[in-house]
Amino acid sequence: MSDAMESWPDEQVALIDLIDRVIGGGVLITGDVVLGVAGVDLVYLGLRLVLAPAHEVDQSVALLRRSA
Amino acid sequence: MMLLYAVVPADATVPETRGLVGHRLETIRGALAAVIVEECSDRLRATNDESGAFAKIICDLATRTLMLPIRFPTLLTTTSVVLAELQANQAAWRERLSELDGLSEVVIRAQWAQPDRDLGLASDSSGTTYLVNRASAIHRREASVAEITDLVRSCAREIKVLHSQRGVRIACLVGNADVPKLRDAVLSWRQAGGHRQVVVGGPWPPFSFVDQEAVGA
Repeated sequence: MSDAMESWPDEQVALIDLIDRVIGGGVLITGDVVLGVAGVDLVYLGLRLVLAPAHEVDQSVALLRRSA
Repeated sequence: MMLLYAVVPADATVPETRGLVGHRLETIRGALAAVIVEECSDRLRATNDESGAFAKIICDLATRTLMLPIRFPTLLTTTSVVLAELQANQAAWRERLSELDGLSEVVIRAQWAQPDRDLGLASDSSGTTYLVNRASAIHRREASVAEITDLVRSCAREIKVLHSQRGVRIACLVGNADVPKLRDAVLSWRQAGGHRQVVVGGPWPPFSFVDQEAVGA
């Protein structure tokens, strides 16, 4: 997702920020996931899994390394 | 599968709403809080379109009830698993819901008309030039964060600097009545010159403030 905003209307920039918050903010609850390809379920993972934007994962990893 | 939308007060009245996959949203209630869910047998692709549709549903719900939005996409297998999560967390959720009553999130995105242009041009030049320009860009970014934070401090209850590849993004937790005041403060920063561009997004549910990790204003 690009951060450039000079050529986009304000509403579009705000929508991008809203979507960023929807997937990067909010209450974190560990969940489950079904992985599949082309609509066919391949494997069900009963893992404790959290989806997050890569930049937030990077920050969490950095924090963990600092505290180790 | 249950797609989770938001945590709301236990006695919240949730309007009849269709969810992302077209099913009616249900409310699973505990003693202190409740969770809004949608039964979801279809796969979620979590595309930008689906994320945007989810955001619209959340924002519509937030106009009717106090809430802590849940990160998209969160799927739990059954109602009983949702209940278990609810029972484990509802005391903390209830407390945070009380703190957030009457507050919304506003995101300020600020950058310059030609952001880091010198940095781009310098990428073909010497390492020293590149580093000097990079340091300048970082300094400008930090100065902007400090300036904007000072401007909105009087009306923001909490402030959180968000990741941004260009310019700065700052999330503010603001009383609903103070949103226009915050917009005016940000506008004054833009009008101070220097080819500044600013977009203020929101008010939205407090996505960035569901816990108490943010730096107090």
